[in-house]
Amino acid sequence: MDGELGRESDLGSPDPLALRLAGGDPAAPRELVERHHAELYRYARILLRDTPAAEDAVQEAFSKAFAALGRYSGERIGAMRLRPWLYRIILNVVRNAWRDGRFEVPVAGTPEGGGGRCGVVPGVTGADEEAWMDVLWALGRLSERQRVAVSLRYLEDLPYAGISAATGWPENTCKTLVRRGIGRLGALLSDGSDEKEAVR
Amino acid sequence: MNERETRMPGEEGKDGRVAGLLGDAASRLTPRGDPDELVERVLSRGTDRLFSCDSPLGEIYAAVGERGVRFVGRASSPDEFARRYRERFGRLLSWGTDGATRRLADRMVAALAGEKVEVQADLSGTTPFQRRVLEVVAGIPRGEVRPYAWVAREAGSPKASRAVGSVMANNPVPLLVPCHRVVKNDGTTGSYAFGAGEKVGLLRGEGVPVEEISGSPYLATPTTGIFCHATCRNARRIQPENRRRFRSSQAATKAGFRPCEVCRPVVTG
Repeated sequence: MDGELGRESDLGSPDPLALRLAGGDPAAPRELVERHHAELYRYARILLRDTPAAEDAVQEAFSKAFAALGRYSGERIGAMRLRPWLYRIILNVVRNAWRDGRFEVPVAGTPEGGGGRCGVVPGVTGADEEAWMDVLWALGRLSERQRVAVSLRYLEDLPYAGISAATGWPENTCKTLVRRGIGRLGALLSDGSDEKEAVR
Repeated sequence: MNERETRMPGEEGKDGRVAGLLGDAASRLTPRGDPDELVERVLSRGTDRLFSCDSPLGEIYAAVGERGVRFVGRASSPDEFARRYRERFGRLLSWGTDGATRRLADRMVAALAGEKVEVQADLSGTTPFQRRVLEVVAGIPRGEVRPYAWVAREAGSPKASRAVGSVMANNPVPLLVPCHRVVKNDGTTGSYAFGAGEKVGLLRGEGVPVEEISGSPYLATPTTGIFCHATCRNARRIQPENRRRFRSSQAATKAGFRPCEVCRPVVTG
């Protein structure tokens, strides 16, 4: 991914973009969006399992983020770890969507049944496509907390400190959730074929 | 901390394959549509837009919200202008790279050059009194000036001349709301947020006879018995030999003249 830059900010070293936002650089908001919108979309897409809803969530998350940055002092902005902060904002947006019942996530079902709507890279065929769709299907069967933790760890590549910052959960809790989530995913993917067949 | 080291024991083998599959899934979930369009949409919703343009005061910056221009000023850099904006309005500024902001910038340049072009100002960040004052001032035509007392009266608070002065000093959209066209009650130009000299220069550029009206801001003519602000379009038509100059409206009324119904000079006492 866009890894290195975002990762630096996860670990608390000064994020050059945070400093530029603090200083008022009018090119900085665009860079913030360009740097993070794809990964935030992906995360929201995993959690909401609906493409337009994920797009809306990204819009709303950035609006909330910019509104907050407008209220903060320059000093506070300059010290921010932007990446986990954005993940935290979009998680709240997603939770609101869940709470409103707009996107009640069904526990069973193959979420990717809709095919092209989710922005599949063209040219992917057969077994390949099946494999990653199975992964998304299996992710959808994890508990909410496990799904959040596993997505942040393995799809978004956040370190545990970043996951903790993005969720508000203690780091050890995040580690446990990821470990158990991965274990369950493994089981679902290797042994869950019956279960899968059953819902198809 | 190297994040590879934070992986848990037992993530090799089967779990490692799961991780690989997750990474693969991640790389395939990309937003649809044109990324530039998406970024533009996010920016226009979440931030206000900034542009710089040429003006009679040199390069100025302008901040545009959903409902129009909210802030105009000079600054040492775009960053400095955006910082000030954030502190005053609580919003971030991003460069106005969208079509709407570009078109607005073009209209603003034209308007500041004296063309009759509408540029919407958003005065929602002001108090009701400030807004009334700014709206009155926005109506003073190019080439004309009005005294503080007149603005106060027109805004419905005839005793608030001094308050009008402080509204002028904090005008969020100078030039667009032409606070430089508000002068002291004796016709001298007075102070200006960008400097008294700049004010004189701006008014001269708009064709105001600054020296002529200083100390004698009212003109009357015996042919009609009417007196006006000296820059009123009616006053400017008075033949030179008929011009009677007055320092105050009281002096003009005392001499038997009645106020013009177009420029409505303030008559007290």
